[in-house]
Amino acid sequence: MDYDEKEYILENRRERRVSEHERDESPGYHARNKAKNVVIAILALTTLFGAYQYHRAVLLRRQLDAQYNRAFYEMTGYVQDMEVLLSKAMLTSSPQKAADILKDIWHRAELVSTNLGQLPVQQGALVNTQKFISQVGDYAKTLNGQNVKGQVMNQDQMDTIKSLHQYAVSLNDNLDKFHGELSAGTMKWENLAGGGAKLFSKSDVEVPMSISNIDGTFEEMPTLIYDGPFSEHMTNQKALGLSGENVSEDQAIENLGKLFGKENIRNIQKVSDNKNGVIDTYNFSFELEGKKEKSVAEADVSVVGGRVVWFLYNRDVGDVELDIDKAKEIGKQFLEKSGFKNMRDTYYTEQQGVATINYAYEQDGVTVYADLVKVKVALDNGEIVGFESKGYLMSHRERDIPTPVLSEAEALRKVARKENIVSTGLAIIPTDYGSELFCYEFKGKLDDQDFLVYINAITGEEEDILLIINSEEGILTM
Amino acid sequence: MKFRKIIVIFALFVGLFIVLYPGQAQNSSGRVSDVQLLARAINGEARGEPYEGQVAVGAVILNRVKDSRFPNSIAGVIYQPGAFTAVSDGQINVPIDPNSTVVKAAQDALNGWDPTYGCLYYWNPATATSKWIWSRQIVTKIGKHNFGK
Repeated sequence: MDYDEKEYILENRRERRVSEHERDESPGYHARNKAKNVVIAILALTTLFGAYQYHRAVLLRRQLDAQYNRAFYEMTGYVQDMEVLLSKAMLTSSPQKAADILKDIWHRAELVSTNLGQLPVQQGALVNTQKFISQVGDYAKTLNGQNVKGQVMNQDQMDTIKSLHQYAVSLNDNLDKFHGELSAGTMKWENLAGGGAKLFSKSDVEVPMSISNIDGTFEEMPTLIYDGPFSEHMTNQKALGLSGENVSEDQAIENLGKLFGKENIRNIQKVSDNKNGVIDTYNFSFELEGKKEKSVAEADVSVVGGRVVWFLYNRDVGDVELDIDKAKEIGKQFLEKSGFKNMRDTYYTEQQGVATINYAYEQDGVTVYADLVKVKVALDNGEIVGFESKGYLMSHRERDIPTPVLSEAEALRKVARKENIVSTGLAIIPTDYGSELFCYEFKGKLDDQDFLVYINAITGEEEDILLIINSEEGILTM
Repeated sequence: MKFRKIIVIFALFVGLFIVLYPGQAQNSSGRVSDVQLLARAINGEARGEPYEGQVAVGAVILNRVKDSRFPNSIAGVIYQPGAFTAVSDGQINVPIDPNSTVVKAAQDALNGWDPTYGCLYYWNPATATSKWIWSRQIVTKIGKHNFGK
């Protein structure tokens, strides 16, 4: 058949126009077009928004990295200082100069510690480093105290300083290697973990080699024992006030009953056994029948001797009806019932209708502050809502109290503000490294400030000064 | 009909954005004292725990302050990078009522109550996967947490 080309083209055009026309007239064409444009617009906006957020994140990352870098550089600077100072401490012969150097070592150690605590390393990755720094600073502070009094370092102490110096040298070397990686860009702070959203992480991020090398410096460090709070001996304390046989769970429950009244305890359950702490205990949870509505109380009873170590009963407190003197009386009675004799109240705080009263043991008129017990008395109805005796159980024993070498008058002469002294007593005060000092306790008032001065009853040295802060929350009572 | 589909897709985008955007807890003004900071940390870490568990978390923080292996201040311990999830997820900034239980727990911890007997670490055994934390010696279990040193 013959096909007219022209006709064919016209036919096509007509068809196209028709189909276009059909398309235009088909329902929803305009709406679809509009919808398409809306989607394109939304996608464009989202992309722009994403780009903006990304840019912002980059800026924040940079700021954060700058902070971490600052902390790292400051830290390494101070560690280098410490290395030099430890060296000098071995070379000087004058105790005064040594005291200066040791004070500087202590100061630098604190600065290292602060900056080290700002680095984003995983839990546990640099604990040994932190411990080394804390102990060096603490040790230097103790030796400084000694040198300030004109006492030169003995051979043992010199050897320790030498050893500490060696460790400081190794630490510097390892820090240097880490620094190398930082500068080269092979180590980034965000690789160290410790922060940021971990959407898909399932386990530990591996600690980078250079970090574990830093901490590994101290793997074989011998234990440091000296008169300071970070000395190794402070982590191995024994409970001196606990004696007797191991008690069973039932006996422990019975002992709780003796304190709070067996008929008052309901639904008592043992929650757990505590082992590996300084005192092994049974942990109980129970309900107390009291004058207020029931609430859950918790208490720990020691395995050795069945003593109640602590007790906590958190409940709402109503209007305050009792004054602090009545509360102290109630506390004292409770203590006597619990087997704590000869306790005197020393300090109290009053918070949200509950008084927390501190009691110290008194032996022959001497206040033994280390043997400390705390009682919480609710001031709406006088109920005991808290009790804590770990301090007492750790340190209590009958002490061999010597006769004071100085008389009260001689001791008074050592007090700077003797004319402001209001009262005097004898006390045994704990140090922060686990030992005790036998002192005269002078209470005084200068202008509006109450204070306490402790003069060592054997050596006459001024051991401590305490300020008594009278706030609306509490007062020292003596 | 088509338009509704568009709205749905848009809503999904917005939803996805909200989910991925790190949430921010409310900020409060005013100076934060030790009790406040400790209470906020306890609130962020142990809100639904028994009272003893809340005091225990406070005690762990204070034990770290006293230990040579950690920073020497309450703020230093709490804000040590990576130490507490309450800091990285912003819970630490949630203001708390001065009469709330967590404040009482913080006060008890500051006054010396320590149900953990010196622990430095705690973790939730149901969710913790870190091999390192599981290598800690367990001293006690309170509520959802194991406490160890």
